[in-house]
Order: sequence, then C-alpha cells, then structure tokens
Amino acid sequence: MIDSSRQLRSRIFYTLFSFFGLVITVYLFAVLYPLILPTLIGILLAYITKPLITALMKWGFPKSIAVGIILFLYGLIIFGIGTKIYSLVPSNKQQLVLRVQMQEKIDNIYLDVLGKKDFTSPGNYVDELFGKQIEPLLVSFNDFFSFDNEEEKEFYAYLNSNAFSEKERTKIEEQYKKLKKISFPKSTKKVVNSTVSESPLPKLPSLIPASKITQFFSELSKWIVMPFVFLFVLLDDGEIRKFFIGIMPNRYFEMSLMVFNSVDNAIGKYLRGTILQSSLVGLTIIIGLLLIGFKPSAAFTIGIVAGISNAIPFLGPIIGLGAGILYAMIVEEINPIIPFLSSDAGIVGVVIVVLIAQFLDNTVFQPYVLGKAVNLHPLVVVLGVTGGSIAFGFWGMFLAIPTIVVFRVIISTLYKQLKAYQIIY
Amino acid sequence: MSKAKKIFQDVLWDNKVLKIFSGSEFSIPEVLKSNPMFEDFSKGELKLISKIAYERSYDQGEFVFTMGQPGAAMFIILVGEVQILRLSDEGTEVELARLRDGETLGELALLDDSPRSATARVIKPTKVLALFREDLVNFLSVKPELGGKIVKKLAVITGYRLRMTNDLLLEKQSELEECQKKLAEEKHD
Repeated sequence: MIDSSRQLRSRIFYTLFSFFGLVITVYLFAVLYPLILPTLIGILLAYITKPLITALMKWGFPKSIAVGIILFLYGLIIFGIGTKIYSLVPSNKQQLVLRVQMQEKIDNIYLDVLGKKDFTSPGNYVDELFGKQIEPLLVSFNDFFSFDNEEEKEFYAYLNSNAFSEKERTKIEEQYKKLKKISFPKSTKKVVNSTVSESPLPKLPSLIPASKITQFFSELSKWIVMPFVFLFVLLDDGEIRKFFIGIMPNRYFEMSLMVFNSVDNAIGKYLRGTILQSSLVGLTIIIGLLLIGFKPSAAFTIGIVAGISNAIPFLGPIIGLGAGILYAMIVEEINPIIPFLSSDAGIVGVVIVVLIAQFLDNTVFQPYVLGKAVNLHPLVVVLGVTGGSIAFGFWGMFLAIPTIVVFRVIISTLYKQLKAYQIIY
Repeated sequence: MSKAKKIFQDVLWDNKVLKIFSGSEFSIPEVLKSNPMFEDFSKGELKLISKIAYERSYDQGEFVFTMGQPGAAMFIILVGEVQILRLSDEGTEVELARLRDGETLGELALLDDSPRSATARVIKPTKVLALFREDLVNFLSVKPELGGKIVKKLAVITGYRLRMTNDLLLEKQSELEECQKKLAEEKHD
C-alpha cells in the first residue's frame, strides 16, 4: 500500500517535471531563436577543431594548454584575414575609379560581342538575334556605374590627388572622357554629367550611423555566444555525452553509447572532409588564377572566397566564378604564365579555371575525401539549399547540406543499432 | 500490462533526468582502486578513468545486458547482485554465476563488439559503473600508456579466465572418464 502510493506520487512528480521541462524548453527555443545559429556554428567549429586538440594532446600537451594554443592560432588567422580583407576593400574614392574601369570594360565587351563599332551602328548576327534583350542589361549596368555631378567632382578631386602617378592619371582620365563622349544607351534615371537631381526628402545622416551602431551591437550580442559555445564544447571532457546517455533508460544504455559514438565520428569526419574538400577547390582556383596571370593577392582572395562558397552546392561555384570574372573585368593588365593564353582572355581563363576546379572536385576531391557520406540525390540537394535559404537566409543555405547529412547519419545509425540490439525487427 | 504501456512507462518513469543532477554517492576513483583490475593504477590515472565512467542504477529484474546483443561496455558492480544466465538447449535458464559488490562483468566487450555470450540480470537493486569500449580506444590514441595498461589488465583477466575454463574442462573431462570407466565396469560385471 505504502509502495503503491509512493509510486503514484513519484509518477505525478515526474510527469509534472517532464511537462514543465518541455514547456520551458519550447518557450526558450522560441525566445532564443536568434541564438540557435551562433550556437550551431560554435559546435561546428569545435567539431572541426577537435582533431587538432587530440594531436596536440598526443604530443604531451595538457588539454587546457592545447585549447589555448589553438585559440591563439585561430586569433592570428582571423586577425590576418581580417586585416587583409580590410585592406582589399576599396574606399569610396577608389570605388569611383573602379566604376569607370568596370563601365569601360562592360561597354567594350558589349561592342565586341555584338560586333558594333559604336552603340548606334548595326552589329553582327548576335546583335540581330539578342541585341534587343542585351541592351536593357547594358543600360542598367551603365546606370549603376555612371556618376552624378557630385560624384564626378569627387572623382576628379581624387584623380588629381597624390594617389596616382601621372601615367595612371592620364589613362583613367582618358577612359572617363571616352565614356562621356560615346553615346551608349541611357536610362533617364542617372546619366554621366547629368544635372544634380534634388532629392525631395531631406537626408537624415545622423540617424543612419546610430541605427547601424544599434544593429551592430544587436548582432554582436547574438554572436558573442559563438566563441563561448566553441570553447565549452572544446573543453568538454565527455560531460555533454554523459548527460544525454544519463537520461537514457537502462535497456537502451549500450545502444545509445554506440549511436552517440558512431554519429559523433561520422559528423566529425564529414565536416573535416568538407573543409578539406573546400580547401582543395580553393587551392586549385588559386593555382589556376596565378597561371592565367592574376596578381597573387587577387588570386588568393578569389580562391578563398571560392573555397568557402564551395560548401553551398550549385551556388558556390557561381559565386567563385562571379568573383573571378569581376576581377578580370576590373583589372587593367593580366600577364598569363601559360604561353598560348592572350592577355585579353581573362574572363575565358577564369571560366576555364573554375570549370577545371569543379571537374576535379566532382571526380577526385569529393569521392576521395568525403566518400559516400554525401551521396545525396540532386533533388534533395536543390530542395535542401532552397528550403534552407527560405527558412534561415544565407546561413540556412550554407548549412542546409551539412544538416541533411547529419540527420541522415543519425537516422541510419540509429536504425542499424536498434536492429543490432534487437529492439526492432 | 501491455508491452507498449511498459515501454512507455520505462521511458517516462524510469529515466534518470533528476538523478543525473544529484551526483554520485560513490567516490569513483576509490571504487576503481578497490577493484583488482585497477588496483595498481595511480591516482591521476584513476581520475582520468573516472571521467569516462558511467554510473547506472538497475532495479530488481532489469537486464544489464542480454545474450546475443553486441557488447559495448564493461561493468563494475558498485553495490548489489547480478545473476549471469544462459539459455539451455531446452530453453530453460541456467545460472552460471552470481556477482556481487566490486566484481566485474562483460569485460570482453572492451576488446570487440562480438555478441554477449550470456545474459546479466539484476536480482536486487544494483548500482554499476560502466566503461565504454570506444573511450578505451580513444585512450589508446591520446593516452597510450594508460590505454595500454588497461588492455594489458584485460589480457591478464582473459588469460586467467581461460586458465580457469581449461581447469574446469579438465576436471569435467576426468569426471566424465571416471563415469565412463564406472559404466564400463558395471557393464562388465
């Protein structure tokens, strides 16, 4: 009698505890939704870093020292890349010069491809076939790159400063004058040397920096979680696994140990494999771009961008290609190491390099590095990437495939172990 | 009680959500030290092993492991009593041994995942300490000296068990021969 009433009491207690625990967990998930992504990325980084910690521990370093060394190295890398990126981002004034160069390149490509002498003359068969479709594109490009009067003043002031040699100054000035002389298709919105258009609404410059600062701190408060998660997962001595194994009923104890271990290994291998695969793609692109005559700094930057974006199926290679083509369009001189490649064939060279990198990725890197871990159906990949981008934006798109792979590993391992432990048929 | 209801209750009532917050009543390094397998391990080594040890509580009638399932962990009894069983050819349970406080079971699971050769059933409320095979594999990679020491101890235990089995086999063989002799004499008479 005493036993059964005690049993009843404990059942009520555990039910209430489970119920309120569930409600609080769901509520916290809903409220702390913005923290999910930084937390996931922190865990992801820790997974990728774990083998480095193990390697250092094998050399006799205590875990805390090994973590310290890794943090120091990561800090150095982030600082190095950060300063490099900062130095590569053009200032507002530099952007004006780049716009002139870009506009000239695009116009020249347009005229070459369509076989026109100028924008009004008749062109070749491409012009006859697609001229009307391509022209609006050129108009929008010209709209985007052309200056208003204020920008023109700024451009000249910058051009006459000490930033350029006499030779460079003359060349850029000639480019700009040439652009002004030629009559390319124009839209009515903004044209070179147009009169200053008065904005009907007064600008509120004071509000813009304030909102940006607020936005920056709001983002910072979310992402500050990431390094902490990264650090705690890295320093964890199995407590996280112990917690989850601890709540498993006895009958599933050994099975959950096996599932945890298999999933842990598979996810770690997959993530590290993806990093290696992306690095190899990046490296191929760097070497390729150096061979077609890109400057080392540009080749490295584009290679890194292409390598990182390679983690996004379909879209990744396009990002890499876009970055390369953009540079080929801006840059004034390309000196190819390969003898048969002409210095004008920058864009073609970039396309070939990206194609070779993708070919190697699909035939060598991915099968060799990742094995069958990512043998997802193309439709699953397309739906995953699209769904990820709809639900979580850029990061959703970036993390969609790793998430699908992780779930697939969990489900297949669980199914295998449930059968091995005779829990299901 | 239906099977589904039992599974539901096992998951809902039997889980140890609260118990994992309450900590252990045992000093794990001390318990390990008192076990013959770990008696000559240093304090630091025992502390490291205790970090990978899982404490589990079983009620009377619960199974620690079942014959035929893949082994993943070795168990040390902290307190309680466990019955080692095998099913005979006729399908009846045969008790092979009874293990009590401080004794170990399922050591071979630390070496590979071959199926358990017997079933372990708890016959009074029992607390055990479990050591997972993959953690030992990890030790062999990160702390090779400690991992090697554990494997060596396992080899000693396995060798000892093999010798015991051989002795038992010889004893049974001589008993069998004696029986056969007696039968032959009886026939002769």
